[in-house]
Amino acid sequence: MPTITFSLKDLQHLVGRKITVGEIQELAHYGKGDFEGYDEETDEVKIDFGDTNLPYLWSVEGFARLIKGILGMQKGIPQIKINKGDYKIDVDKSVIKCRPYISCFAAKGRKIDDYLIKQMVQLQEKFCESYGRRRQKVSIGLYSYRRLKFPVHYKAVGPLAVEFVPLEFKAKMNLKEILAEHPKGKDYAWILEGFEKYPVLIDDNNEVMSFVPIINSNFTGKLEIGDEDMLFEATGTDEEAVNLAANIFAYALHERDFDIYSVEIKYPDKKTVSPDLTHEIIDIKNEQISRLFGLELKESEVKNLLEKAQFEFTKNRVKIPPYRKDIIHPYDVIEDIGIMYGFENIEGYPLATFTHGSTEKIHDFVDKIREIAVGLGYQEVMSPILANKDLLYKNMNIEGIGTIEIDDCMSETYSAVRSWLLPNLMEVFSKNKHVEFPQGIFEEGLVNHTKGDEIVENHKIAIAGSHDGANYTEMRQVLEYILKCFGLHCDIEEAEHGSFIEGRCARAIVKGKKVAYLGEINPIVLSNWGLEMPVAALELNLTELFEVMEKNKKTGEFEELQ
Amino acid sequence: MKKLAESLNPAERKVLKVLNNFSSFYDIMKATGLKDIEIARTLQWLQNKGIIKVKEEQKETVSLDENGQKYLEHGMPEKRFLESIEKASTIPEITRKSGLSNEEAAASLGALRSKNAIEIEKNKEITIKLTEHGKHLLKHPMPEENFLKENFPKELGTLNQEEKFVLEALRKRKRIVKVELSKSISAELTETGRKLLKEKIEDNLIEKLTPSLIKTAAWKGKKFRRFDVRINVPSIFAGRKQHYRRFLDEVRQKFVGLGFKEMAGPLVETDFWDMDALFMPQFHSARDIHQAYYIKEPKYGKLDENLVRKVKDSHENGFNTGSKGWRYNFDVKRTHRHMLRTQGTACSARMLASKDIKIPGKYFAISRCFRYDVVDATHFPEFNQTEGIIVEEGLNFRHLKSVLKMFAEEFAETDQIKITPGYFPFTEPSAELHAKHPELGWIELGGSGIFRPEVVKPLLGKEIPVLAWGIGIDRIAMFKLGIKDIRQLFSHNLEFLRNAKVV
Repeated sequence: MPTITFSLKDLQHLVGRKITVGEIQELAHYGKGDFEGYDEETDEVKIDFGDTNLPYLWSVEGFARLIKGILGMQKGIPQIKINKGDYKIDVDKSVIKCRPYISCFAAKGRKIDDYLIKQMVQLQEKFCESYGRRRQKVSIGLYSYRRLKFPVHYKAVGPLAVEFVPLEFKAKMNLKEILAEHPKGKDYAWILEGFEKYPVLIDDNNEVMSFVPIINSNFTGKLEIGDEDMLFEATGTDEEAVNLAANIFAYALHERDFDIYSVEIKYPDKKTVSPDLTHEIIDIKNEQISRLFGLELKESEVKNLLEKAQFEFTKNRVKIPPYRKDIIHPYDVIEDIGIMYGFENIEGYPLATFTHGSTEKIHDFVDKIREIAVGLGYQEVMSPILANKDLLYKNMNIEGIGTIEIDDCMSETYSAVRSWLLPNLMEVFSKNKHVEFPQGIFEEGLVNHTKGDEIVENHKIAIAGSHDGANYTEMRQVLEYILKCFGLHCDIEEAEHGSFIEGRCARAIVKGKKVAYLGEINPIVLSNWGLEMPVAALELNLTELFEVMEKNKKTGEFEELQ
Repeated sequence: MKKLAESLNPAERKVLKVLNNFSSFYDIMKATGLKDIEIARTLQWLQNKGIIKVKEEQKETVSLDENGQKYLEHGMPEKRFLESIEKASTIPEITRKSGLSNEEAAASLGALRSKNAIEIEKNKEITIKLTEHGKHLLKHPMPEENFLKENFPKELGTLNQEEKFVLEALRKRKRIVKVELSKSISAELTETGRKLLKEKIEDNLIEKLTPSLIKTAAWKGKKFRRFDVRINVPSIFAGRKQHYRRFLDEVRQKFVGLGFKEMAGPLVETDFWDMDALFMPQFHSARDIHQAYYIKEPKYGKLDENLVRKVKDSHENGFNTGSKGWRYNFDVKRTHRHMLRTQGTACSARMLASKDIKIPGKYFAISRCFRYDVVDATHFPEFNQTEGIIVEEGLNFRHLKSVLKMFAEEFAETDQIKITPGYFPFTEPSAELHAKHPELGWIELGGSGIFRPEVVKPLLGKEIPVLAWGIGIDRIAMFKLGIKDIRQLFSHNLEFLRNAKVV
């Protein structure tokens, strides 16, 4: 989740006027961000752009650009000048399988300082981690091209074919060693899993610049304070995203007074020039604005708002700036018209149509049962639905069946979906051994289990009493009382269940459906939970009981008709 | 005064009647025959009514210790020693005959010598003979013996000179008497108390109204003992609904009141309903294995394949909505992958695709959702989401605004709201709702927007405005319930549950 940090003075410099912290709070909303704070001592502003899709805002240059548009200081798409550079990159066909795309440009004409490096690295990291899907879709490298000899070669080689000194290391390593031993190698090795050859950038002196997307060379692959030239490169699996990275960086560096030079990229089958600053075009209709926002706007108003948002607009045709790839539907542009108009300036209209409110029938039924349980003096509890097999089965002295387990789970405590409720109640008793008795508790909730390759979800209620005289009779009375409330009665049969004492466990059958277990809890189970007080309990399947009742209602009506 | 007299319970009446003559706790106990705990309670009550004043004093009291009790029963060892001299003469023999321990025999020897009751002769063996005084002592009680027969416990200050002398001697011996510092409680009648005693204290008051008293009408003409209705009573607890669940019940009722129909969906969802149907691209970061809970078995669920095709198209090329789509190869197998629901919006997606949907219609769901989180005071992997949709031709952002305002009024008790741009993959426009809670200040209350055509058209079959919203209800719940730690929403602490605030 991108949170960016920058200097307030720097922002003011880039915008070209004074901006207060209060203004930043409001302006951040236009970029769908939240102002997080300002540190007067360090002059640092923090903005959280959360889960947004506008990576150009993850740097102070992009945010300054947005502000200039909002404040009317710049209209339409900001201009950028690209000089033709005589740099070339040869793309070998060997990379097509694993990481086929590359974008690139050079920037020069300004001394690089510590703050700038930090800003570039911040944007690079946010972009690669979030938008670049942890470097898998896009990764970015920054170099000082002074140390490079062009043309640069982008190709895939065997794990042992080349070796170089990776960043912050002293010894030469081959690619296999880097993946196994270098911290970045270990972090990102998953991206290259399953490939026989790995992508590298090598200059014309046969010096390895980078093992993409893992780590750069300690010699050619870094940017230092005082450098006056920079080479940017992005590689990845998604051509649009790789180009977007170059466009965002080119704009940012251009706004920092760098001269941008293009790079020619020679693919096996085509030649391109990077950065690719082609504008995309999308058509919008005026009625789409009124459909989405209820706004009736004149063409000139639409034009004005779109220019604030740094689009260009002529006759329903919207030109999109090259640092934005989030526009996939006309509504994406319409939203920006609404944002620039100001959400606060759009008056709300009340809903006029009457609709009938109602609850889910099963929930109504469940609530009636809960009400009865409360009336019988039991305290309701609510537990997490995530549980584990020890809690569900081992402590309960039974074998597990059809449990839904979490794949690749990180916490043993939450490694399965509960399949019944009684273990939750036992857990409650175990945590309240010193609380006043009698203790009577119940929980109503969802449980899940598998049946073949089906998943079965049920509403259940478990009720339990723990006190000196807790016994089968108490639970039988509770069950019969609940059923009686709905005009039902049950047949009782003896049952065997590891959680209950043999000979004191029963199953209740309503209209042929086995809906409940009840009985006295086995002392083995009590001691598993560290309990010294007897417990009697029942667990009733409310989904099945509800179905029986609904069916009964229907057949009842049928009988009446006859 | 009469009312006061009528309010006395049987124990109070009993105690009050002896208070003219006795004042010490011990004496009252003996005179009334009540147990000490009853006396203590009764004195407290009487004092509360202003009838007596209870005084507590520190006193030194003398009482018999373990050996003292024994000697009171079986006689002092020196007496038994004396008695045995008549039958034997050497110390071991006397000791054996008297049944004393060596220690007791030695003590007796010393005591008797100092009283000049025996003579010791040293020949071949040491023999012991009674003196004249010894013979006298044999027939008359010694002062120590008399002392033991006193009424204990006895206050040290009440002993006379001679008794004190004996006490000092006995204290030097093993566990015969003990002198302890003790609290002595006494009761003194107040002015009111003395007046009250002059009143006629009715004994014939009805303490408990029994069925037989009612049936026989025997209560007629009698008085009921007055209760002190201001007195504290022991607390009880009742069966009740869980605090958080009760709150959620109320939220449900509110939505019904606002004309919303409840939706429900399964806990175990597929990627399809949880994400794909909502136009969240399959490369979205919320779908990482360590963001959502994917389940082991069964890995894949069943879906309406016709619907899957439409959603696939929507992702790949925008279906026929005028959208470019996300332009990647949609993984059809992956969309069947089972997982635990991460967002309540899954219920809205199901509703849009359901035959039962009514247009115009308003729908809501309160649903348990699951997302990976490290558990602490503000994070828990399970939470409840309140989500919903409003489907009606002609609705737009203006209506969404007034709906959000209504929610702020209902749930955050404020009409001060801010609606700011937001981002969700399934809505365009998207907006965040901030509300100025009277006590919490500005809070983020929820997210909202209008479903994208890429979501609506594949599921519903046509493009109709669908206003969608979600409210972070847990935060409001915690505030209302006075809870600081999110884990307390699922508390297993019975005392907390029994006493939690009802809101």
